[in-house]
Amino acid sequence: MPRFSLAALSARWRGVALTLIIGVTTLWLAAAGQLVLYIHPRYVVFTVVLTVIGMALALLALALSPDGDDEPGHGGEDAPAAQHDAAAGAEAPSRRSRILGTGGLVVTAAVAASLVVLPPATLTSATAGTRGLGTAVVTTSGGDAPATGPTSTYTVLDWATRLRQSTDIGTYENQSVDVTGFVSPSPDDPDNSFFVTRFVVTCCAVDAQPVGVPVYDPGWSKDLKKNQWVRIRGSFATNPSTASSAPITLAPRTLTKIAQPRDPYLY
Amino acid sequence: MTTTLPAAHEHGAPRDPGAPRDPGGPRDPGAQHAHGPRRASRRLLVAGLIVVAALALVRITTATLPAGILPDHLQDFVTLTLSVIVESMPFVLLGIVLSIVVQVWLPAGFFAAWLPRNPTARRAVISLLGVFLPVCECGNVPLARGLVVKGFSVSDSMTFLIAAPIVNPITIITTYQAFGWSDGILVSRVLGGFVVANLLGWLYAKQRDERSLLTRQFDAECRIPETPHDHPHSRLTSSAVLFRREMSTMLPALFVGAAIAGGVQTLVPRSVLLTLGSNPLWSILAMMALAFVISICSNVDAFFVLPFASTFLPGSIVAFLVFGPIVDIKMLTLLRTTYRPVVLVQISLVVALVAAALGLAVNALA
Repeated sequence: MPRFSLAALSARWRGVALTLIIGVTTLWLAAAGQLVLYIHPRYVVFTVVLTVIGMALALLALALSPDGDDEPGHGGEDAPAAQHDAAAGAEAPSRRSRILGTGGLVVTAAVAASLVVLPPATLTSATAGTRGLGTAVVTTSGGDAPATGPTSTYTVLDWATRLRQSTDIGTYENQSVDVTGFVSPSPDDPDNSFFVTRFVVTCCAVDAQPVGVPVYDPGWSKDLKKNQWVRIRGSFATNPSTASSAPITLAPRTLTKIAQPRDPYLY
Repeated sequence: MTTTLPAAHEHGAPRDPGAPRDPGGPRDPGAQHAHGPRRASRRLLVAGLIVVAALALVRITTATLPAGILPDHLQDFVTLTLSVIVESMPFVLLGIVLSIVVQVWLPAGFFAAWLPRNPTARRAVISLLGVFLPVCECGNVPLARGLVVKGFSVSDSMTFLIAAPIVNPITIITTYQAFGWSDGILVSRVLGGFVVANLLGWLYAKQRDERSLLTRQFDAECRIPETPHDHPHSRLTSSAVLFRREMSTMLPALFVGAAIAGGVQTLVPRSVLLTLGSNPLWSILAMMALAFVISICSNVDAFFVLPFASTFLPGSIVAFLVFGPIVDIKMLTLLRTTYRPVVLVQISLVVALVAAALGLAVNALA
């Protein structure tokens, strides 16, 4: 006789439920053009196709689920373990695994809820900081392939690459800069400088690497908040800041606050 | 007369000839047998569709919430966690689909028919199966579980589990796209994956009771006869049941693994690792630590690690590419569904040693 229990219901249907949750969110993100906040555009089609297949299978599982296929060892995951523990007289592992199991369910439920409820977001300047923005370490593939074309079309990535290759201010004369990115405080001179920052993504947001161009703008934090997207036009100059390790910084001529672009990452 | 006393007839005299509706009564329990399950499952399907619609509605409504309602670090933790899930999910689904094909749709003796009987030769062939079953590590766990249920020994399926994420066409192509033949990175990666898989398979084949490597839950699952005696399901139904069960096991593990991976990445500054790039030994350990934390699929990790090639020695790149597909935070939580903790520790140790040794060798030669 099937007795109603939340644990049994969860054990039986959580896979299907989570599949539907991820599926709905993924398809919605794809439809809204925001799946690229989480994965590289080249995986969007693959992800959407498999998500549709997965949702179809989840619905098939709902439609074709015979009763009585939950004998011990099948759907009721906890039952055999409990029996075994009882037989072995091992109370402690059972309690520990129950606590772990409950913790896992809580985490799973919280993550599932954030999939459905939280507005999609890009990574923030906090991660730009922990991932070594502005340090000397080269972590982007642009390293050996300098950008071509007029410098006015250079992105933050292109300029950051150039700045690593050459710190001779002479090579930047008469070159106008027009870049878009978000504001991250400079790690070594946060009062006078910030980085106009982008994340470079090779696979998904997990691997996002920050690149930034230092901007010398004393008192910037009076009218700019971190994470604010800006478009900056200006030119490069020797860094007047003594605290900052960057030899060259961008001197802004105009600085416009803008909305986050539809495609916030660079590739 | 008969029309005026229907109630009396029904209650007092069931055999009364004036009760043509009687057959309706006895049919009810019967109907529950014949049509009940179908009606119930149609109800479940409708419930599922309602859930989908409700989820979509909530998702669309909550999208208008202002960005930045969470503090930066918490927001990035959520973004990274969801990114791991969104990135892995299609590969998990691909693995489940292949697992269903192997368990339900392939004939019973499919693998036994042509695999060599000699254990070493058999494991060598099994470690090449990934060429036909191109899954990365997340899809690989359900598939390896399927192979055990299908009658593979635990050590044989372990060989597949370890080898397939590396020795598979997608991984080889993306690694080639990223590195070409430079510094022997591609060759070392494929050879390393092959060697470590066969080494682990050989080690675990020495185990007297291989089943003792499995968690109790999974072991119990494997002992259930393949076709339930009293109600043999159609293949489609078996597929649906398998999908429901495997997803219920794998997805919570994926969610927990993603949350841990996201949390570690939010808390540990990556710059700590990146400053170690040019030391022959420390760079290897740093890249293995990075692989452990980052938890991305082997099908795409070559692109991830490519930018590091300019600062890190090639041996450390190889160590990343051999260690990462087999051992990382997300993978350990997925493997935990199937293997006991002590087995996970042993696997991690062996793979770490082999990957580090390989990395040192590449650094010495390069």
